[in-house]
Amino acid sequence: MSEEATSAETSKASAKASDTTTAKRSPIIVCRKIVRSFWRAKERLDVLDELDLEIAEGSFEALMGPSGSGKTTLLNLIAGLDRPTSGTLTVAGTEVSAMGDAALARWRSQTIGFVFQHFNLIPVLTALENVELPLLLTSLGSSERKKRAQIALRVVGLEDRMHHRPQQLSGGQEQRVGIARAIVHDPKIIVADEPTGELDRKSADEVLHLLERLNKEFDKTILMVTHDPAAAERATVLRKLDKGKLL
Amino acid sequence: MVPIRYNVRNLLVRRTTTMAAALGVGLVVFVLAASLMLNEGLARTLDQSGSADTAIVLRKGSDSEMPSSVEDKAISLIKVAPGVKSSSDGQPLVLGEVVVVLFQDLANGKGKSNATLRGMPLDRVQVFRPEVKIIEGRMAAPGTDEVVVGARVVGRFKGFEIGQSLDLRKARPVKVVGIFEANGSSFESEVWGDIEYVRSAFGREAVVSSVRVKLESPAVFDGFEVAVERDKQLGLEVLAEPDFYRKQSENTSIFIIAMGTLIAVFFSIGAMIGAMITMYGSVAHRKREIGVLRALGFSRSAIMFSFLLESVLLALLGASLGTLASLGMGLVKFSMLNFTTFSEITFQFTATPEIILRSIIFGGVMGVLGGFLPAIRAARTAPIEAMKG
Ligand SMILES: Nc1ncnc2c1ncn2[C@@H]1O[C@H](COP(=O)(O)OP(=O)(O)OP(=O)(O)O)[C@@H](O)[C@H]1O
Ligand SMILES: [Mg+2]
Repeated sequence: MSEEATSAETSKASAKASDTTTAKRSPIIVCRKIVRSFWRAKERLDVLDELDLEIAEGSFEALMGPSGSGKTTLLNLIAGLDRPTSGTLTVAGTEVSAMGDAALARWRSQTIGFVFQHFNLIPVLTALENVELPLLLTSLGSSERKKRAQIALRVVGLEDRMHHRPQQLSGGQEQRVGIARAIVHDPKIIVADEPTGELDRKSADEVLHLLERLNKEFDKTILMVTHDPAAAERATVLRKLDKGKLL
Repeated sequence: MVPIRYNVRNLLVRRTTTMAAALGVGLVVFVLAASLMLNEGLARTLDQSGSADTAIVLRKGSDSEMPSSVEDKAISLIKVAPGVKSSSDGQPLVLGEVVVVLFQDLANGKGKSNATLRGMPLDRVQVFRPEVKIIEGRMAAPGTDEVVVGARVVGRFKGFEIGQSLDLRKARPVKVVGIFEANGSSFESEVWGDIEYVRSAFGREAVVSSVRVKLESPAVFDGFEVAVERDKQLGLEVLAEPDFYRKQSENTSIFIIAMGTLIAVFFSIGAMIGAMITMYGSVAHRKREIGVLRALGFSRSAIMFSFLLESVLLALLGASLGTLASLGMGLVKFSMLNFTTFSEITFQFTATPEIILRSIIFGGVMGVLGGFLPAIRAARTAPIEAMKG
């Protein structure tokens, strides 16, 4: 692990990390001198400023920082939703900063699972159909897709709600369906932007517990942006971002 | 591929907007289908009227029977031309008829219109038009002032009912004694009376409008035509009956199709804009959703296709409603002026599988065109939309 990464860990998270083997594994996400700028009224705004970052495979990292510090921007880059203005970004062995649009879309569909703050389930589709969506981009047949979507729903404990529409579910349940959708295609990395931001304490804890399980039992690398200290505590590594730089 | 049920359900969720846009498309398809059906009805009506082994002789240069005149003495020459069929008693099957226009009051009191009056040897109707059936009353008697009325104009003009009488001209009344059907042909829009009575009423003694000739077979037509047209003094023109009726409908058919297409194209611009606005609304409303699909890895082309498909589904829904409504028109009788004969002809909207298919495809194409720009906008949605608050 890089020096900066280690220094960014809190003592508590590092204690947690030390009793697993994750910290010693090779990095799955490597950012080198990442810059992401936006232009606003002819004024250049460097949201991320020559940022270096390594994230080890199998770790569960939390990213905190004040509003506007660039957390979502960084997450978008790592997840291949956006491209850096300069710098190189290698994720799961692929240099995503150099990829074209279509290739990037295909890469996302195989590598990344998304958990969104607003759940972002498709309202007209049932829980099962929502979870099945990422599998439509694979070569799996319909019955195999259904089977896998059901298994994913079972993992999040919502198999009995599979024919419900998002409207018919509570916020916590919606987010658990979101998690099922994020894992159904077995991606290496899960990115979550404030996954508990809209949930009450109890639902938030359920979601966090699930993420922990995905990390421990299924060896998913998880990168989670959060404002919630209790959520951050569940992670093995805690990083802090301020004004486009990691502290 | 984004699943089709995604599109279907989104259309259902936005029921009112969907319906409004679909009805716009439906209206256009209705107009188009109705005009095609009308044209088909016209073609059928006139097609029924001709048989291939019958030749019709007119004065050269007359498009129709009305302006044509053939002298009685020419008829005797036609009778001896090659290929003319004879009846069992050795009589050549040649029929001279006089056709005039009646300018009659409409029964509904809304002005006047033209009806066709045909004077003929009434005892020979069955020989040339075996399909003719008296459905009410009886056949008019030869040599009298009686007439029979075609089933399609009964009740349309004043006096066109059994037992009533009408004036052909001043002081030339005729009595309606029967109603006939002729297999749906244009004869059903005519009034038939005795040839001599009609000729004297209109001062056309010793001339007829047209001469119908039964030929031994359709194959002898060419020989017959050459023989009759050879004598330039007579100045006659020979046509096979089916060709004659096709010619009769040409102008009217062009008019119907041109009007229908013009109206459909004109309206379709509005309907496509309607579909486009609906789809733009849909894209704007689902911006984040589209971002999510893009984030999950669906390609731009998959999104583009999905929205195009949604627009086509919307249009097809409208097209089906429009076509269905046009089928309802099949129950309606339609009267219009035949532009060649300038008399009224009554016919029905007639649907064929081809017309239905064409109309629905036309609707589908409107969906593609109207949905194109919104689908491009949808495809351009950035995947980071999924992450925005
Ligand atoms: N597309 C964009 N165009 C212009 N500016 C942008 C764009 N995206 C982000 N920014 C700016 O970049 C900065 C960082 O935004 P970002 O969304 O990454 O913050 P954040 O740390 O996730 O904040 P929050 O905790 O509120 O979600 C903000 O000042 C924001 O206005
Ligand atoms: Mg954010």
